[in-house]
Amino acid sequence: MKIVCIVERQRRASIKRPPTPDAEDETDREPTIQEIINIKLIESGEKERLKELLRERLIECGWRDEMKALCRAHARKKGRNNVTVDDLVHVITPKGRASVPDSVKAELLQRIRSFLSSTAL
Amino acid sequence: MTPAPGAGDLVHLLTPQQVGKRSVIFVPVESFQRVHNLAKLCVSVILIMSTPAEDNVSSNSQLSSDLFGDLLDSIIVDVASEAHRIARLGLDRNLDEEEVELRLSAEARARASDPSHSGEANGKYVVDIFGQTHPPVANEILECMNCGRSIMAGRFAPHLEKCMGKGRKARLKATRSSNAAQNRYSRGSPLSTHSPYSNSTGPNRSNGSSGVAGDENSCGTLREL
Repeated sequence: MKIVCIVERQRRASIKRPPTPDAEDETDREPTIQEIINIKLIESGEKERLKELLRERLIECGWRDEMKALCRAHARKKGRNNVTVDDLVHVITPKGRASVPDSVKAELLQRIRSFLSSTAL
Repeated sequence: MTPAPGAGDLVHLLTPQQVGKRSVIFVPVESFQRVHNLAKLCVSVILIMSTPAEDNVSSNSQLSSDLFGDLLDSIIVDVASEAHRIARLGLDRNLDEEEVELRLSAEARARASDPSHSGEANGKYVVDIFGQTHPPVANEILECMNCGRSIMAGRFAPHLEKCMGKGRKARLKATRSSNAAQNRYSRGSPLSTHSPYSNSTGPNRSNGSSGVAGDENSCGTLREL
């Protein structure tokens, strides 16, 4: 039996980076499983490969052009010089997440899962 | 207090007394995501228990989805920042408005070509891109370094042709002096036809040498400048 204890914490996705944590925070917190995996992923170079693969697939299927068209339309509506990157991210993110083709998503998930099973957890 | 929509099927896990209070509930891990929403409203700590076999698969899939979302987010940021750059620099307009600009430039060219046709006949009314008009023949006056005459700039090249070597008279001058040089240095007896020239080579050569000297002088002055 495995018991996992979770405390509710809100995470806001934004470009603005959080301030660097103090030394006290570092020593108090244990690295979560997710963080350990993330570090393993980055160190082995797999994250970069996965990102490149995803980018390539999304370009092939036209997802990137759709997103750029959305951005262009939004920029025209708001006025060319009034858009911010944050703004565009918030515009694209919901539609972007929803419109990823299933085949692309399945392929990436497959690769991620095989990586997770290959690294001993 | 009613729980959030999307967690309806798990409401039964809460007793009425637990709603709105801090409490602990046990749920299977595959329903964790939905319980998350429930948790935001009702409970602050959740203990999740499951069997090890289920555990790996479901936590794996959860982790995979999270990682995929992470990758997708960074790609979204890339696309957004590139689109932002294009919008700010006005590069996206160029693709559409290129046609408009081409049309405008063609019209401008047509407009410009009409007066220029009449201008070529006229000679003085061709306007360049800075709005200046130029006479067909350049009218600055310069001094020829070979013969010392003052020549108009537009007539300078033809004058030099005649003066220095290409024209008929100039070539005769040159051939006279070169033949004379050959006659002087060749061992064979000079032909009688060349003899009348031999008298005239002296003054010609002196002219030529003075011309050369003049060249050197002018070069010297140029260098001084």
